[in-house]
Amino acid sequence: MKELPELASIHVPVPPRDEEYIASALGRRVSFRGLKQLLGAADYSKAGDRHAGLAAPSESVREMARSILSGLSLQHIYDHPLTDDDGRVDSVMRVNYQIDGEVFSSIGAMTVGELKNHLLRAGSTDVKRIGRGLTGVMAAAVAKLCDVHELILIARKLSCPTRARTVLGTAGTLSSRLQPNHPTDDLRGITLLVYWGLSLGSGDALIGLNPAVDTVDNVSTLLQHLDKLRRSTGVPTQICVLAHIKTQLACLERGCPVEILFQSLAGTEKTNLSEFDVTVDLLDRGYRTMAAAGALAGQAEQFMYFETGQGSEFTYGKHNGIDMTTTEALCYGLARRYDPFMINNVTGFIGPETHLDDFEMIVSNLQDHFMGKLLGLPMGMAPCYTLHSNIHLEGQQIATELLTAAGANYYMDVSLNTDRMLAYFDTSGNDDQTLREIYGRKPAPEYLEWAIRQGIFAHDTSGAIIRGPHWGDPRRFCDSEAGFRELLEATPAAYGFDAAGPRPANKVSREMLLNQSIAREATRAELRVDDLMNGLIRMTSMRVLDTEAAGKDAYLNSPSLGSRLSQGSLNRLTPEHKQVQVVVSDGLSAEAVHHNLERLLPVLLEGFAGRGVTMGEPLLVRYGRVKLAEPIAEKLETDLIVYLIGERPGGDALASRSLSAYLVYRLTDSLAQMEAAQFSGNPEIRFEYTVISNIYSGGLPPPEAAAVIVEKACEILKQHAAGNRLEALLGN
Amino acid sequence: MLTGRSELTQLSESYRSEMVFTPMRGDGLDLEQLDSYLQAWLATTRPEDIFGGGALLTGLAAQTSNAADLIHLIERRVGAALIATAEDPCFESWLAFMGSCASLSRDHPGTPMINLDIGGGTTNLAFGKNGEVLRTGCLFVGARHVQVEPGTYRIVRLSRYATRLFDDLGIRKGAGDFLVPEEVERILDFYLMLLQAAVAGDPEPSQKPIARLHEHSAFHLPPLAGEAVVTLSGGVGELIYSHLRGQPWPATTTFGDLGIDLARRLAGVSRWADDFRRYVPAGGGRSTVYGLLRHSTQVSGNTVYLPSPDVLPLRNVPIIGSISLASTDEDLCGLLGLLGRSPKGGCLRVKLAADGESAIPKLGTRLAGLLEKNFLPAGRPLILVMEENLGKVLGNYVSGWGRIPCNLVVIDEIKFRNAQFVQIGGLRNHVVPVSFHGMN
Repeated sequence: MKELPELASIHVPVPPRDEEYIASALGRRVSFRGLKQLLGAADYSKAGDRHAGLAAPSESVREMARSILSGLSLQHIYDHPLTDDDGRVDSVMRVNYQIDGEVFSSIGAMTVGELKNHLLRAGSTDVKRIGRGLTGVMAAAVAKLCDVHELILIARKLSCPTRARTVLGTAGTLSSRLQPNHPTDDLRGITLLVYWGLSLGSGDALIGLNPAVDTVDNVSTLLQHLDKLRRSTGVPTQICVLAHIKTQLACLERGCPVEILFQSLAGTEKTNLSEFDVTVDLLDRGYRTMAAAGALAGQAEQFMYFETGQGSEFTYGKHNGIDMTTTEALCYGLARRYDPFMINNVTGFIGPETHLDDFEMIVSNLQDHFMGKLLGLPMGMAPCYTLHSNIHLEGQQIATELLTAAGANYYMDVSLNTDRMLAYFDTSGNDDQTLREIYGRKPAPEYLEWAIRQGIFAHDTSGAIIRGPHWGDPRRFCDSEAGFRELLEATPAAYGFDAAGPRPANKVSREMLLNQSIAREATRAELRVDDLMNGLIRMTSMRVLDTEAAGKDAYLNSPSLGSRLSQGSLNRLTPEHKQVQVVVSDGLSAEAVHHNLERLLPVLLEGFAGRGVTMGEPLLVRYGRVKLAEPIAEKLETDLIVYLIGERPGGDALASRSLSAYLVYRLTDSLAQMEAAQFSGNPEIRFEYTVISNIYSGGLPPPEAAAVIVEKACEILKQHAAGNRLEALLGN
Repeated sequence: MLTGRSELTQLSESYRSEMVFTPMRGDGLDLEQLDSYLQAWLATTRPEDIFGGGALLTGLAAQTSNAADLIHLIERRVGAALIATAEDPCFESWLAFMGSCASLSRDHPGTPMINLDIGGGTTNLAFGKNGEVLRTGCLFVGARHVQVEPGTYRIVRLSRYATRLFDDLGIRKGAGDFLVPEEVERILDFYLMLLQAAVAGDPEPSQKPIARLHEHSAFHLPPLAGEAVVTLSGGVGELIYSHLRGQPWPATTTFGDLGIDLARRLAGVSRWADDFRRYVPAGGGRSTVYGLLRHSTQVSGNTVYLPSPDVLPLRNVPIIGSISLASTDEDLCGLLGLLGRSPKGGCLRVKLAADGESAIPKLGTRLAGLLEKNFLPAGRPLILVMEENLGKVLGNYVSGWGRIPCNLVVIDEIKFRNAQFVQIGGLRNHVVPVSFHGMN
């Protein structure tokens, strides 16, 4: 186990006042106030940085910023720690200064440009040594000077093997994390997805499931189930349920097999604290607990697993004026403290507000992989996309080809690229095998031995590893055809198991991409306001309002526009002091509103009336985001907003019609506000949220959803609490 | 909150007790000994950790005078978790079919199947198609009517059915005597005759008094049932399938009864031999207990209407009838009237059928109107069960959105069984376990 130095013992220079960095070229002069601005301008232009006002306005300005950055010494960067919005060095930045002092003294005088040249010229051992002396900001600075070839070439020099039951990241290997996510944590569906992945030769890095419901009971069940599957198949790998670290530690206390401890990380303390509910102290506790009592304690050399990705700090509005690449590097500086078994980078997961298109996603992935490897981390990559961005399967595939050339340790196996729970698209087991065949890679040695015994892989006459007779056949893990069919019935988006070489057979790909295209269209569909009004005319009238988003593109690419009412609409609202206000918005699927509203709203209104709850006339808002509920609640002085909004479509065409109901409770009562602040750790909390999702004919039927919403809303009003605090009060 | 369907899935054996023969004291069960078994078997389990479970009392044990006391004993040990009990043999036949060959039956749609669940005291017969049971019956044909010293044919004990059969066959032997092979064969001839007649739907042999004595519940095949494939479960069935997989027969009377002999004879029935080879159920063997959990106990949807969870569990609630939008006010009044006279309240099946969700407000409002007229005594449980995922909204309409005081529970996403009673377990993770018994 690594010693974890006390935070206070890590030396960080006192931040000086921001300097002005100036450059001129051919008569043009540009200046940047402070290191944050300079770093932001020096990067490739990406949506998140543009929205944050950090991206350079032009290519020439970007190149001038890069010139300035090239001339700064590492010592200069060391002496200018980036601060939070209050001017203080936060805990993430402090951990980033946990570097090898000797190494740093040998390179501190180098400029960033010289460092890049040195990394290109040096051998693997020296590059690895230098990484130990760098902070995240330094790694980000050099990444911004590298082109695509350089990001690949330098990263390729670095390997970072780690060991639990299997060894990851050794030369010639390409591993995968099998991600059998299911929208309702159905054990049968999860089982099929595990069998499917194993049959494709996936899962040597981890069988890691994101739970749909993050409770100790549910996560315990899932851990035990994965453990059972691991034992019954005999596959040498490790398991993990990617719940919150507190949930996993509680499961461990119950005696559940927590083999690898997971947590999502962000690059600022504010994001970690307010959005991810983690602190360095909590991570330290998790690390020490796992070292002493984890299911692989004494066997695994590493046992922590972190997930990161560019843009989370920006999305939550807690980036402290630091660009996305640099905050990502700060995550790595924090992760490095715990000598993790795996890092998984999911840049592309958030949407067009951070990465607009294929190029932005690809280049960010290459930067992330480069920075992580340079800082000594075992980088797994998950170049991914959502349907409301302009990122496509082909862009994702280009990213994986480049990242494999760069030496990524592992990818994900999400069956047929379609995550059935998180509504995004990632690499598949077919992709992983394709890349192994193109680049001559194999799974981890322990796993490979098992897979050869299973007939998943085989040796050809020359001794090379090829796909075996049972590759791609999940049935072989089932007792009977009937048993297999039972599992299949519980698994959405299973379009077929036929393969053509390592790829899915053409008919499987066609069906998958057809579903995806229909779902993508749902994100582009416009709300048909007149049709909705005509359909509802006998039941209710609605007030139609606008947000600041002038059109669909602006709305998708800039979430903040959909979070504010236009001035004209705002002026139409005055305090009404009702208990409940129903608001309907397209969100990310207008089709969800078209298909569900007429079946849901009449029951909802009847229910509230039946329960004696006072309501304002419903609002219909085009281009609305969830956060829009807050200004509306404040303007109307309503206690509770029931916000019906189209969900982010996943890969299933029917599920792209899925609606969510956000119950947004305004904390006006001072006692409730105090209790909410205490419960959340956020003293400025003003709203609490309860979510009811999956409302569509294939999930929670709209009339039933209406009754669920009415009951939950009445509980919120009665208890003066929503979200986790409400569930805690109700003993759930 | 994520909504979705919950089901009993991935049933697995976390603990299996050693097998013991039912301890008897006189003509009844030895409850003291059974209680000590239970105590030992449940030592590592806390009753509050059990979501739901079943107890199955079968064959001759179910015929004992204090059989009901054993169920109560189990209830005391596992508390409210016990939501399925099986004391009627037709239910047992249904469970055996569902537990053993339902999947096989679904795999061969259109092929009628008869499952013979042959245990120690009874053979439970079930006729089904496409995974659904259509007819059930029960015969007192089993391995342990004649108990012998293992390795020999020296009689240790005869059931009252065996005593009568011996009389009928002219075998003047009792405890301590040795049966000769010819006598064993005559006993088995009789059992086979009963089984073959039942499977063939031949009523003739059962007219004899000794045959009638061995008939617990008549097994009537439906008209035009067609020739059915025969499958097996229970201990005797397990022996046959195991032998067909290449295992040798166990040595003579290893288990101290005629089970092995019965299995050998059944395996030799030429008309069924092909069925036994071609149609092998996935589970075989202990199908009934598995069936009890897997097929009898269902889990509700997670949006039930249950304003007061502490009204659960509810046991042995009579099923009064069905309602739909087509029900007249007179029908509804009649059913509520019956329900009002039942001290345990009652359960009504809600059929939406073609009306779908649009029926909910109308049907709910009509029922609400009747409840407002005090058709039910205060606190009398009214349980509505439906297949669609619309329980909460129906419950809200029926209760006038919580305004009408009534002890109403609406449970959705339950496949209704043709039964007499329903049991509903406690709420956990927003769902409740439901089982039916008293199959019609």
